[in-house]
Amino acid sequence: MFTLDRKKIISSALVASVILLGTACNASTETEKAPAKTETKTEVVKTVPETQATAATGDKGIDGGAVYTIKDGMYTSYAVNEQAKKDFTFGRTPSKTEEAAWDIDVMPDGTGLPEGSGSVEDGDEIYEEQCAMCHGDFGSGGKGSRSTYPTLSGGEHDSLTYQRVGDNTDGPKRVIGSYWPQASTLFWYVQSGMPFNHPKSLSDDETYAVVAYLLSINEIEIDGEEMDDEYVLDREKFMKIKMPNEDGFIPVIDGPDGPANVKKFLADPNNYGNGTRCMKDCLEGEKPNIVRIKTEINAFEPPMSVERSFKEAEASGPIHPGQKVYESSCAACHATDAMGAPPSGDKAAWDTKLEKGIDVVYANGINGINAMPPKGGNMTLTDDQFKAAVDFMIDSAK
Amino acid sequence: MNKMTKTSEQHLASNADESVELISRRNFFRKAAVYSASAVAATSILSPVKLNAADDPAIVHEAEWGIKLGDPVTKNRYGVPSPYEHNNTRRTTSLLASGDDYASISMCPIHEQEGIITPNGLFFNRVHGGVAHVDPKGYRLMIHGLVEKPLVLTLDELKRYPSVSRVHFVECPANGGPEWRGPQFNSIQFAKGMMSQAEWTGVMIKDLIADLGLKPEAKWMLAEGCDNSEMGRTVPVEKVLDDAMIVWAQNGEALRPEQGYPVRLMLPGWEGNLQVKWLKRLEFSKEPFYAKEETAKYTVLTPSGKAIQHFYPLEVNSIITSPCPEKPWTDLKKGDLVEIQGLAWSGQGTIKTVDISFDGGDNWVEASLKGLILPKAWTRFSYMYRYEGKPLLLSSRAIDDSGHIQPTIDQETAVVGVEAVYHRNSICTWEVTDKGVVNNVHIRS
Repeated sequence: MFTLDRKKIISSALVASVILLGTACNASTETEKAPAKTETKTEVVKTVPETQATAATGDKGIDGGAVYTIKDGMYTSYAVNEQAKKDFTFGRTPSKTEEAAWDIDVMPDGTGLPEGSGSVEDGDEIYEEQCAMCHGDFGSGGKGSRSTYPTLSGGEHDSLTYQRVGDNTDGPKRVIGSYWPQASTLFWYVQSGMPFNHPKSLSDDETYAVVAYLLSINEIEIDGEEMDDEYVLDREKFMKIKMPNEDGFIPVIDGPDGPANVKKFLADPNNYGNGTRCMKDCLEGEKPNIVRIKTEINAFEPPMSVERSFKEAEASGPIHPGQKVYESSCAACHATDAMGAPPSGDKAAWDTKLEKGIDVVYANGINGINAMPPKGGNMTLTDDQFKAAVDFMIDSAK
Repeated sequence: MNKMTKTSEQHLASNADESVELISRRNFFRKAAVYSASAVAATSILSPVKLNAADDPAIVHEAEWGIKLGDPVTKNRYGVPSPYEHNNTRRTTSLLASGDDYASISMCPIHEQEGIITPNGLFFNRVHGGVAHVDPKGYRLMIHGLVEKPLVLTLDELKRYPSVSRVHFVECPANGGPEWRGPQFNSIQFAKGMMSQAEWTGVMIKDLIADLGLKPEAKWMLAEGCDNSEMGRTVPVEKVLDDAMIVWAQNGEALRPEQGYPVRLMLPGWEGNLQVKWLKRLEFSKEPFYAKEETAKYTVLTPSGKAIQHFYPLEVNSIITSPCPEKPWTDLKKGDLVEIQGLAWSGQGTIKTVDISFDGGDNWVEASLKGLILPKAWTRFSYMYRYEGKPLLLSSRAIDDSGHIQPTIDQETAVVGVEAVYHRNSICTWEVTDKGVVNNVHIRS
């Protein structure tokens, strides 16, 4: 089917170039296959420049797309320096320590997974302190200042076939337990990218604990065993995890045939949708069924406008010395009360904190208290910078 | 040499004389204007000649900018757009934020896009942990794993490698993703603005790793960022050895922080998410890495319950940018000859043909391509149309040189359903009303 379509395109391209030549020679070789001309379109300007037309090799790349090579010093329309590019001397060899410092990815075969252990119970505690303000209780999702943070649990594997068409309003639930193919991804994600506002702050044991908690609320069983509060996850047990949706992905990317499988899959557009080049009566007598916007979303910032009008320079008062630090290090949690932190500018919330005096507020912030990590997780701040940011949030309240 | 200098001096001097003369002549007219009985009260070039009320004040009056000095060249050491263009800007909406504005996206105003190069300040911006600010002095790039000779480079060392410059679009695979189940935005900026295009400059990775000795069992490469989110993605070695680049410049200047300053990965035509910003590490391996953004996200769930993973290329696509909801035809009169134009692109090749339909896809005519036609790049198409003031359903359909044809909505959803989130490339249609208002609609069977 695909081969046929392709042949059709190639032949129609040939027809197009014949027409082009024909027009140039003023010969009467137009065929019925010529694209319909209209009154306003008086000439057929239709071809890809020669360098490009000849550059595509006809081979498919791993993405199912065209492959181009360098020919006569040209890569498609780009001129190329073809002198030898070999034996460069720049840079140096990294030390083993340097490689180890950066190579913390965790692969399904256990490569990169550190030794360590943590219990579901300990994970629950860390989760409540450092994760629940965004991801909600038991991974149910939480509200940020703009929209909701990702839900981490509560999805049925069966829901993956749900489609919201017609009267069906239930869509697929893509959470860790229902969707993720590998647990290694979860460990790696938590260790390198979470908690969101101060990642890379959990120890290996803490990471095991948080991962154990997340797997338990997703009702994952390890080696037939349920993960209750006392369950302690370690490297050995981790390697036995089989995620429910491990076989839910196509094409198969593992093993020596992985790349070839991907290539074969992507080479066939019928796997992901391809069109046809119909030119006339394509709807076969039917009227087009027009679906219009039901509920328009237009809360854009700034509001939509194409007006070209002079905008007076924004009135720029003096900038508070703590504002920049606030915006880069504090706003993620302190912009609203969604995460339980006193919001910037909320007088009542800050008055409560200030009951014991500003120095206590500074000290708690610098050392960390409850869900507030030391210096908001940004240990590069000096005490003065940190205090200025606190001042900014309090001053905004006045 | 001397002679030339002298000539230019003389030229300058004579210009100066002329302007003095001009100013005094104008002063004369200005004074004369005071006594003019003209209906137009303001300063006039033509006074004391009588002016008609219909004469365009923009022509017959001195414009403010024509009668006083402009800014000295010392103003704006780094230039900024005209203040009149303040509405040509990236925009955001809460719907497309995850929690807060740190894992979010800002949309490119493609209704204002001219030509095929997006100005750096308007390039769409998708980040997963905020825009990192990397000090180039502390920047290192490590290439290791299944290579004979691992390598660490500083930024200056990286830039010593021979560079190439290529024009490529970058598109988030979720572009158009909010509209799988029906149109939601009456705006091209929000319906299709998760993409932009630049000329990228950097080194071809194949040139860089030729010296490192890639081991034969190396099949995949992890690309990882050094930002807060530590974005990582797995890339097949075949792409790395084809046209993958490590880039440090966009449109002639250093990458913007939003685009990964100082260094990002460039995989022409592939998902924007794969073009890892703030690039820190390339690790070659035998097996794929299962990074977070290729399992939980950036996979295409189909109605069978199976999800397509490692779906790299953005498929052939197109959109009519003029007219569009933001740039309607409400000012046109019946009989006006107007250009319909738009952008077509494919991550799987070079745009070969674009067809246009005026009746919702029943009949099609071939448009012209115009300007540069480059692989894996936005290509402009154009069609001259005599406006009739009648309702239209205006669609475009692109075809690339790898044989892929943009599908209808029905053709695409028949295969991948409506819960795919990513890789939506079906034909877009604008409804043009008899008043020239343009609305975003979907055409279904």
